[in-house]
Amino acid sequence: MLRTTTALLATALMAGTASAEEFRWAGQTDPQTMDPHAVSSAPVLGFLNNVYDGLVRMSKDMTLEPSLATSWEPIGAGEGWRFTLREGVTFHDGATFDADDVLFSYERASDETADVRSWFSPVTEVRVVDDFTVEFYTNAPNPLFPASIANWMMMDRGWAEANNATRPDKEAGNYATLNVNGTGAFMLADRQPGLTTTLVPNENWWDTAEHNITTATFTPIQNPATAVAALLSGDVDFVEPVPIQDAARLEATDGVNVIRGIETRTIMLGFSHEADTLKYGASAGAPNPFRDVRVREAVAKAINVDAILQTIWRGSAEPASQLVTPALSGYSATNAARPDYDPEAARALLAEAGYADGFGFGLMCPNDRYPNDEAVCQAITAMLAQVGIEAELNAMPVSNYWPELRADNFDMYLLGWSPGGSLDHEHPLRFLASTPNEEKRLGSWNFGGYSNARLDELLPMILAEIDPAARQAMLDEVTAIYQGEHAYVPLYVQPLVWGTRDNIELTQRPDNFFILRWVTVN
Amino acid sequence: MLAFIIRRVGQSILVLLIVGLVAFSMFRFIGDPIDNMLGQERTMEDVERLRAQLGLDQPFPVQYFRFLEGAVQGNFGVSYRQGRPVAEIILERAPATLELALVSGIFAVVLGIALGVFTAIRRQGIGANVIMAASLIGVSLPTFLIGILLIYLFSVELGWLPSFGRGQTVMIGENWSTGFLTESGLKALILPAITLGLYQMTLIMRLVRSEMLEVLRQDYIRFARARGLKDRAVYFRHALKNTMVPVVTVIGLQIGSIIAFAIITETVFQWPGVGLLFINAIQFVDIPVMAAYLMLISVMFVGINLIVDILYVFIDPRLRVDRAGAH
Repeated sequence: MLRTTTALLATALMAGTASAEEFRWAGQTDPQTMDPHAVSSAPVLGFLNNVYDGLVRMSKDMTLEPSLATSWEPIGAGEGWRFTLREGVTFHDGATFDADDVLFSYERASDETADVRSWFSPVTEVRVVDDFTVEFYTNAPNPLFPASIANWMMMDRGWAEANNATRPDKEAGNYATLNVNGTGAFMLADRQPGLTTTLVPNENWWDTAEHNITTATFTPIQNPATAVAALLSGDVDFVEPVPIQDAARLEATDGVNVIRGIETRTIMLGFSHEADTLKYGASAGAPNPFRDVRVREAVAKAINVDAILQTIWRGSAEPASQLVTPALSGYSATNAARPDYDPEAARALLAEAGYADGFGFGLMCPNDRYPNDEAVCQAITAMLAQVGIEAELNAMPVSNYWPELRADNFDMYLLGWSPGGSLDHEHPLRFLASTPNEEKRLGSWNFGGYSNARLDELLPMILAEIDPAARQAMLDEVTAIYQGEHAYVPLYVQPLVWGTRDNIELTQRPDNFFILRWVTVN
Repeated sequence: MLAFIIRRVGQSILVLLIVGLVAFSMFRFIGDPIDNMLGQERTMEDVERLRAQLGLDQPFPVQYFRFLEGAVQGNFGVSYRQGRPVAEIILERAPATLELALVSGIFAVVLGIALGVFTAIRRQGIGANVIMAASLIGVSLPTFLIGILLIYLFSVELGWLPSFGRGQTVMIGENWSTGFLTESGLKALILPAITLGLYQMTLIMRLVRSEMLEVLRQDYIRFARARGLKDRAVYFRHALKNTMVPVVTVIGLQIGSIIAFAIITETVFQWPGVGLLFINAIQFVDIPVMAAYLMLISVMFVGINLIVDILYVFIDPRLRVDRAGAH
């Protein structure tokens, strides 16, 4: 099957070489599967957004808009949500989309084998009312539910059953790992994992196509220098990401454009809140100073974020004050100020806490997870040394990093967080700020064990509050709490740097999803 | 004789087993694949479940034994990253690496011998000295730098050749994808083949040159000249032929390293071969792919050495007599 399409494609490509609307792009990571429910990672969900549709989708400015559902409304006083489905939509193989496919996609995506099942943890029941109406019942009022399923993609029951792919299989793979049958704007013409993936427009797409692409080919290019060279030589029309040190040079080059934006990922420092003693550095074994809020505040004041942004990021990133960026819902505008850079005050705070002579500790840092992660940690180490605390920097590949953090092997660590799912402030609150609770699935990335009773009390109320003003008031209160306690030190919002040939027009969305249907080749 | 071969084969298998054991003991230091396989919404429960399912909660000798158990049945497991059988993935990627190795091997041998002979004959000439000086670049510059330089010169500045990938490929039979039959495929081969073969080429060139200079000093060359033979006959029929014995041995041993060290070239050029597959596997901690690749490469090296050892015995009777005498 795959091979036949390859051969067909080969002849097609040789017959009509390089028509104007052929679009070739490169990214760093190949989506590891074509199964929309198997893996919850940005490269996979971002790519599959081009071939599959959800009930709702994110617009260019990250607001929710109708997709396969034309409208949605709360049921009763918040028992759940009722979605009215779009009629006349067909899958790529011609099958009709209806409520049964929604139910099937729910069963599939909420299965134990599905990585995305956490999106459905508030859902108690899904009821098919008629062919084009579906009701989702939730255990508590859930105002964010529609937004939280923007990446939940619809799969045809008949197709999945016929191909024995009714459940995702991440370990051994199945038909849906390599093949696609969505309702999306593009169809999968050829898939060679790790090499190339070719998409062609879906002529029967339910929405009006904005793009003018006839063929789109994706190639993963791991080496950033090769990717930049490929863009410069015109072998590809678009690359992401562009290494920050190459951006200025590309901007000065004829024929290519650099598109800069702000991502949804906030980079921050985390502390060990629970450990009794320090584990690394010169003071290993001594009582843990980071349990003292004054020490955490001193760290926040000792770091010159503006200097980091100027030197390491060459001015393209923005400082962060809280766990989400201003672009996301739930951002607390009343708490937009971040601690000033004030080494004098930092030293005074340390002295007040009883560390006038400083101390030594360990700073854990990944070196291949976020752009410039290790360089930022080195800068932080130097800045902390200025106020008398000596960080022993331990940088490692991300594959080693998460296991170390999970095993509590840190005194301080670097973390980046992008709120997948709901794209709302509640997301980092649930994962990073809530007291860890395995049973309630809370605080699973709160490695340091930060805990605040009032925050834990407010979180479920925030999740259930329908009234936006009341909800925001609670979010403001929570933000003030974790800021006041310096639970984390938010540093900056990661920039997004893309490179294109100058005949390409496209839209950069802050969640770093590349949406092919917004591309125009001139 | 037979006893010697059996002993040699036995030793080779032992080496393979040890390589595998060392590899498996190292995998835990590369990291934990679980976080790469689960998204950020995973719970600790998911982590533990998947770890148990993949057998990663077992000590490494147990994991190694399971791998061997599958491997002897031809089952190398399923890639964590791609969710497909490893054997299938490696077979799919092998043609790209083998074609690249073949072309760069031919490039290295043909050009290496030709330039070696030239620099030996025209020892004092300007051309020979320029080539000798330039060959230092080939030996001393790291492969990735040569690759990047070639890309910037021929793709970005001149725009003659593609900067990455394999161009258009055509399927031959069921399993072999070839880049030899299309124009873009051939063009795509040039830069990676030069990058990969440059080191071997300079090595062969320098070897041929020094061997040739050695041979040209021999008495029989002087007699040949005294007999009034033409230069061409002296150089190519008599001198070169006698130069080739050590050169062929070295070329044989270099075949293995061309394939094994294609990793860097493949990464620079995004060449879709097994080397690139291996690099991706390391980043993702895709243990089944890493294990299969390492075993494959060590089978290749051990195999080449085994053949060379056995051939020596056939070629050089003294070796055989000595061995037999020792027992």
